[in-house]
Amino acid sequence: MCAGLVALLAARRVWVGYPPPPAHVRVLGRREFGFLTAAADTVFPPGGAISASGSDAEVAERTDVWIGEVAPFLRVLMRLLFFLVEHATLFFPAPGRRGFRRFSSLDAAQREAVMSGWAESSLGPRRLVFESLRAVLTMSYLSDPAVLRELGVAPRDIEPGYCEADLLFPPIGHGPDAIRIEPEDLRDVEAPATLACDAPLDPRYAAPRA
Amino acid sequence: MSVSAGEVRVFAQYADDVVETAEVVVVGSGPGGAIVAKELAERGRDVVLLEEGPPFSLDDLEIDPALSMSRTMRESGLRATRGSVMPTMQAICLGGGSLVNSAICVRAPDFVLDEWCERYGLTKTTRADLDPHYSAVGRFLGIAPTPDEVQGRRNLLFRQGCDALGYSSEPISRNVRGCRGSGECFTGCRARAKQSMDISAVPAAVRAGCRVLTSARVERVTGSADRAEGVRGSIVEPFTGRVAGRFEVHARRVVLAAGCMATPVLLEKSGGLANRSRQVGRNLRFHPGVAIVAGFDEHVDPHFGATQGYQSLQFLRDGYKLEGLWAPAAVLAVRTRGFGHVLKERLAQLPHSAVWDAIGSCNRSIGEVRVRRRGLDPKLLWRLHPADVPILARALYTLSEIAFAAGAHSVVTGVPGVPTEFHSLDDAQVLRNRSFRPSDFQTGGNHAFCTTRMHGDRERGVVDEFGRCHDVANLYIADTGVFPQCPSVNPMWTGMALAHRTAGLIAESL
Ligand SMILES: Cc1cc2nc3c(=O)[nH]c(=O)nc-3n(C[C@H](O)[C@H](O)[C@H](O)COP(=O)(O)OP(=O)(O)OC[C@H]3O[C@@H](n4cnc5c(N)ncnc54)[C@H](O)[C@@H]3O)c2cc1C
Ligand code: SF4
Repeated sequence: MCAGLVALLAARRVWVGYPPPPAHVRVLGRREFGFLTAAADTVFPPGGAISASGSDAEVAERTDVWIGEVAPFLRVLMRLLFFLVEHATLFFPAPGRRGFRRFSSLDAAQREAVMSGWAESSLGPRRLVFESLRAVLTMSYLSDPAVLRELGVAPRDIEPGYCEADLLFPPIGHGPDAIRIEPEDLRDVEAPATLACDAPLDPRYAAPRA
Repeated sequence: MSVSAGEVRVFAQYADDVVETAEVVVVGSGPGGAIVAKELAERGRDVVLLEEGPPFSLDDLEIDPALSMSRTMRESGLRATRGSVMPTMQAICLGGGSLVNSAICVRAPDFVLDEWCERYGLTKTTRADLDPHYSAVGRFLGIAPTPDEVQGRRNLLFRQGCDALGYSSEPISRNVRGCRGSGECFTGCRARAKQSMDISAVPAAVRAGCRVLTSARVERVTGSADRAEGVRGSIVEPFTGRVAGRFEVHARRVVLAAGCMATPVLLEKSGGLANRSRQVGRNLRFHPGVAIVAGFDEHVDPHFGATQGYQSLQFLRDGYKLEGLWAPAAVLAVRTRGFGHVLKERLAQLPHSAVWDAIGSCNRSIGEVRVRRRGLDPKLLWRLHPADVPILARALYTLSEIAFAAGAHSVVTGVPGVPTEFHSLDDAQVLRNRSFRPSDFQTGGNHAFCTTRMHGDRERGVVDEFGRCHDVANLYIADTGVFPQCPSVNPMWTGMALAHRTAGLIAESL
């Protein structure tokens, strides 16, 4: 009876209480999504030198798209990484009151302390966990068009330079019928126009955040 | 339905299993394989070129680096060595590494070729022997120095720093035509300026009648231990690798150019082929790369300008080469230290930063490619040798020197245990005075070689200096695995020059 109660409480700490992720999230479960949102806001808090927080930059949503494309064994490794950091505080508590909670349930100061613990650990493997997690979050944060625009490094619009190969290769997943380029579309690539620093942004990076 | 001369077959077109016959089958369409296929086809030979990855049309080039890496690179771009953990990227696409590389073309220096000849029993790999092949490839790809108009401030500051110190520097020669200076070679050139193999050598081969099967993963060389009869494998869906059919190609000559990580695996999976020397998969070497981020008061706008436009070859004999560098912000930032507001502040400096890198000729750091029981992905073991560590420390010091000479106010190296930021050259002295451990350096290794090395002595190498396997007369290797040692400079042009020579030999033998 008592063991059952303990198991129920433990299960509650691990599995219950995560809000559902937005409908367009396809791969991440609600727990992973909840963890990533909390971790992203710890690594990229609101305000400061770049205005967007991890949530503003939709880090969890972007990671969902990315994780859906990586090789299956890497997807498993990434998920294990998220699980590990989310639940490590159930065994090694965060400082302060109610530190024995999963990472995403901690308050902002506790999360920061936990993240510092990983980052500055004297144990190489712990630091590696932090660096791997930060790498995932940073890749997604710096994929956000608004962040790239604010940093001034968003990709510019580039006039496509069609060449002979574009008459040979259809878009991936299609047959040659899908080739839309005609010989008259080919451009003389020997005559470049150097991209100017104030060149317009690529349309995918130009739109303000919806 | 058999494939016609000059046809490129893509995944959507495979209805049945494929069986083809050719004079020569080439496995892999990277710089090595594509040059062999083009040369042979243009000499009137009947060639089938096989590539596991798909061709990337302009619509398929993804600017988002995470998604781009997942699609164009093996193991989603997250492949790493064990031992010393170092990321290493190999492409899976028509064109191989040339689709995602920076198009840097440098001839191997004289002292490297001399050493190769002297130490590996080579007699026909001198400057005079290879120069005609370098030149032929160079003419075809339009290899030329990067003009000032597309250098961008990041590369020009590198030149300025070198000039101030009296270090030699030069614009990098690249295989580009009409570069716009977009700095996005890493995710594929949307301007179609970079003459990657998919838009240069492969179309030329196709024009000359070569049949190209993409999404065709070779799994085995067929034949006996002494004679190759062809290859067979699976038709695989792009990105998922789902098997959708089988193929077999019978040929009089087989050329493996699957890259220095994949070719040894193929040989091993083909019953330990061509391995009487026991050198297949061994001797794996890299040019480990390190980088600095130099902070300037001025706006550098580092994402403008040729991805890599300026270099210094002054320190090649000391074991390192220096270059300007750009990669997507997300990729560069992965190595930025800290988190929270500190990290944000560091990232916000990016527009005022120049990123420069060094590659080390670390010949003492050796590893191996091992075969996994399942699949063709290699297991990579490699260790940065303690004796090679000072090369990287010196390289970072020299880069810091150049940065301060160019007017930088700060330099970040990412080396733990030294100040996070140097504010003067005095701060950087720690790189000269301290001894470091291999694990102190965050390196990346995209130049890889030597896993099927050439050697004049058949007991000590897999191929001869023409790329012909010592043990299997009609089997050739034409990727960077044949290098006997680090080339000390970016490997692509040397790989293509050797492949060009191998193609000539095969043509004569038919
Ligand atoms: C990001 C990056 C930047 C670089 N920058 C430069 C640079 O600027 N200059 C330079 O000199 N070098 C550069 N390099 C290195 C250079 O790209 C490689 O050295 C070069 O591509 C090696 O050519 P290769 O033909 O030996 O092999 P690869 O380019 O690796 O080509 C091998 C091909 O074989 C295919 N293949 C593998 N296995 C199979 C199989 N079983 N069946 C069918 N096909 C198969 C692969 O998909 C691939 O297309 C860079 C590399 C990277 C990753
Ligand atoms: S710098 Fe830009 S335009 Fe020039 S070759 Fe690279 S991707 Fe193409």
